[in-house]
Amino acid sequence: MTSEATATRTVTLEVFRYHPDTDSEPSYQSYEVPYREEWVVLDALNWLKDEVDGTLSYRWSCRMGVCGSCGMMVNGYPRLTCNAFLREFMPGPIRVEPLRGFPVERDMVTVLDDFMEKLTDVKPWIIREEEQPIEEGEYRQSPSQLADFKQFSMCINCMLCYAACPVYEHEDEFIGPAALALAQRYNLDSRDEGNAQRQELIWSDEGIWDCTFIGECSTVCPKHVDPAAAIQQAKVEATNNFFISLLPFTPPGMGR
Amino acid sequence: MPGPLPRTKSNDWWNRRWAYRLVLLRELSAFAVAGYLVLLLLLVASVREGESAFAEHLDVLKNPLLWIVHAVLLGLAQFHTSTWFRLVPKAMPLKLGGWRVPGELLIAGVNGAWLAVSVVVLVIFLVVA
Repeated sequence: MTSEATATRTVTLEVFRYHPDTDSEPSYQSYEVPYREEWVVLDALNWLKDEVDGTLSYRWSCRMGVCGSCGMMVNGYPRLTCNAFLREFMPGPIRVEPLRGFPVERDMVTVLDDFMEKLTDVKPWIIREEEQPIEEGEYRQSPSQLADFKQFSMCINCMLCYAACPVYEHEDEFIGPAALALAQRYNLDSRDEGNAQRQELIWSDEGIWDCTFIGECSTVCPKHVDPAAAIQQAKVEATNNFFISLLPFTPPGMGR
Repeated sequence: MPGPLPRTKSNDWWNRRWAYRLVLLRELSAFAVAGYLVLLLLLVASVREGESAFAEHLDVLKNPLLWIVHAVLLGLAQFHTSTWFRLVPKAMPLKLGGWRVPGELLIAGVNGAWLAVSVVVLVIFLVVA
């Protein structure tokens, strides 16, 4: 197809609209957007905002799948819109909505306060019982120890896993996939000694036990973090710990 | 001023995508496993009641309808088992020394063990019968 032909071709975008000052209900607005082979959904939204309707609101930043800001529901599926090509959805229409499971501030802008609080609650940072003096140098780690948690550290907090999780949608208290995966990331880090501090929350009903292993969090993750695996591994560890606690003695190497 | 739109919860979540439908089938197929256990317990109970009750129970089991029920339960129980076996590498990754056992090998391992146990059970059954 020639570039002239692609430039005249269009695709319909059905965009979720909600303005907190004026709307009591959300609505959908259809727009005709030029179709270009190399355009992603975010390009189409940016074109709309620049050329047609400046009031359209959504988050975005890097355009290269790193910042995790531009997550939206595209045809009902959570996607980074900078990573979702228009050509995947042709001939359209393409429905663009805010991520499912979150309150909506305006148009595609969601309220992420709930996640931010839960993320802080799991203490996603290295905890030491006693800090090593600076003159002793850095905490060293072998490539194999790094490999134990590296996959879980790739999270960009894009929230696609939350939008894909029916448990998070229905259970207000559920900590959710990304925060639990990050907790596991630090629990598996050889430099960290905060496992005991995270346990009470992580091993509670609102933590790993609310998860029913639907697994879509891992399917939608653009960074292959696999939160479902992190949560199930924490479940195995919690179960082992429970049975070990029933023993009249502590097996070698199992003490906490 | 209405403010932010509250988050919504919909009860048809399971019908949104095939992935969700299959997960629901995985969960519901646990009832098939439980159902087969009930049939097995009834058989054991008939053994406890004596030889004639057991022979009567075997006669009942020859009913074609019960053959179909058993076949459906077997199929669902196998589906249930295999779905969980496919998830083994996620829940229990295995590290032998410095070597991370590939997920596909783990899945093959548990399926192989399943097959071996099935063969042993079949051999015992054939020898006893």
